[in-house]
Amino acid sequence: MAKKLMKGCEAIGEAAIHAGCRLFFGYPITPQNEIPEYMSARLPQVGGMFVQAESEVAASNMLYGASGAGCRVFTSSSSPGISLMMEGVSYMAGAELPVVIVNIMRGGPGLGGILPSQSDYFQATKGGGHGDYRVLVLAPSTVQEAADLVIDAFDLADKYRNPVMVVGDGLIGQMMEPVEFKKTIKPEELAEKPWATTGCAGRERNVINSLYLDPEQLEKHNWDLYAKYQSMAAEVRHEDYNTEGGCDVLIVAYGTVARIAKTAIDQAREKGLKIGLFRPITLYPYPAEALAKAALGAKAVLVAELSTGQMVEDVRAIVAGRRPVAFHGRVGGMVMGPDDLVAEAEKLVAVPA
Amino acid sequence: MQSAVRVQMDAMTKPNGRAGACEVLTAPIVILVGHFGSGKSEIAINLALGFAARGDDVSLVDLDVVKPYFRCRAAREEVEAKGIHLIVPDGDRFYADLPIIVPEVKGVLTRSLGAHGRVIVDAGGDDTGARALGSLMDAIDPERSEMLFVVNTRRPFAEDQAALVAMLRDIETAARRRVTGLVANTHLIEETTPEVVREGFAAALTLAATTGIPVRFCAVLKRMVGALTGTDVPILSIERYLLPPEAPGMTGRRRRFAGV
Repeated sequence: MAKKLMKGCEAIGEAAIHAGCRLFFGYPITPQNEIPEYMSARLPQVGGMFVQAESEVAASNMLYGASGAGCRVFTSSSSPGISLMMEGVSYMAGAELPVVIVNIMRGGPGLGGILPSQSDYFQATKGGGHGDYRVLVLAPSTVQEAADLVIDAFDLADKYRNPVMVVGDGLIGQMMEPVEFKKTIKPEELAEKPWATTGCAGRERNVINSLYLDPEQLEKHNWDLYAKYQSMAAEVRHEDYNTEGGCDVLIVAYGTVARIAKTAIDQAREKGLKIGLFRPITLYPYPAEALAKAALGAKAVLVAELSTGQMVEDVRAIVAGRRPVAFHGRVGGMVMGPDDLVAEAEKLVAVPA
Repeated sequence: MQSAVRVQMDAMTKPNGRAGACEVLTAPIVILVGHFGSGKSEIAINLALGFAARGDDVSLVDLDVVKPYFRCRAAREEVEAKGIHLIVPDGDRFYADLPIIVPEVKGVLTRSLGAHGRVIVDAGGDDTGARALGSLMDAIDPERSEMLFVVNTRRPFAEDQAALVAMLRDIETAARRRVTGLVANTHLIEETTPEVVREGFAAALTLAATTGIPVRFCAVLKRMVGALTGTDVPILSIERYLLPPEAPGMTGRRRRFAGV
């Protein structure tokens, strides 16, 4: 298929269709309106269904129902809308329902603004809703990768019977790049889900539920979920860039900031400074082992985020004092330039006067 | 001095020795419409800068009420540095994606522009974006304006002729004005090849044959200007201004207006 020029949001929508998803329930919010817009145009063409819910709360409960019935289903929103969905996400995690949720992050807290942000890292990676649960979190940094990861997200959701989030700052949703879709899954080719509530004629009935009144049972359920989240460690993904043979400064960044870091690496090279990049692709589970290895190959670590410092807490825990870890963050929709990252890296290697 | 200015002007307006888009567009008001993401904003900025380089008095109207980032206003510093008057909501509404049409828009579209006055109007994508334009159409004299439909056949929902014709007609209905010209703008940004440019130009010619609307010019990335041979279609050589934040030129200076 010829490459198309797509916005991140459009590629995410098309990827869901290529993953065999035929259901979208959601509610519009900038800067991800192009996802529901795209799905509302495309799903009827492929025999699917688009529903604009009355709210994000309603949408997340529609996801619960459709997933419980064994369907591939997905939604997208941006930060404030994702917060509204969190009750449903907790219920889906509790009921072990596979679902794909895309968060095209904007500046917060509260209504914030409509410009790009990465300040929902805690919400995405530490649970977000109530209860002891985690969702698998994927963070693309190109439009092509957004498309690829959305397709993978559906498979991972089914594999772990768990919500999977794909997070991108607003720019990942809004930027345009050439995309191709290498894989197409037809809904009828998807594996049966024996746990789904599809009508119990001829078999024991299935129950989709997150209510456990018996404390022993609820404790067991929680530890079973915990073991499942631990087993997700097999899915860690990351990219090492310019780290072979070690580096002066290792930048740790994901999404758009990782793109900016790559330009910074080129600019620093001209100044004789070697910067490497560690780009986590899974934010939960975090590629901890690989980060530790890359960090030990550097003199110092610089975490750069579009937040006041969220991922940096995980990086500090992993590096565990073995290397200095500095932080550079911009928020509110302000974005650092490659020159800013070079300047921050230079500060870390400067010999004190 | 004069000749230096002339050489610089020719470089902008006569790429590859061909007629430039700014030479063939004679109407004082140029309105850009088209599919969502077809390239209207980048073309609007390049046209505005091209006219300004010819010494015209240029106003650029950012009427994009559809997309939240990568709008004309993101190139505010570059266009204002060339004396172009950017018309856009002010204050914090500059950053909003609300359907705001500032009163100045109607003013600039109705007043006498003089011999060298130019107005470039960048409408939002699809018929949705053209609706804002429709609310202004009574103020725009058809004799003094052109409405150009920008075509990138590598964009979703713009891949086949039927879809292009349908969108063109929907936009005309929403804008309450006939399209007067087509702009061939098929590209894949950095992955654009000469074949992609030629394929897009051929598709624009087919659309022209179907609709009877002429191709007014072909917009081509600067490095691809040589791709179109065997035609004397005017060219708009495109320099990218709406760049992602990792572009080497995106320093702290640009951040604030970068739409990012």
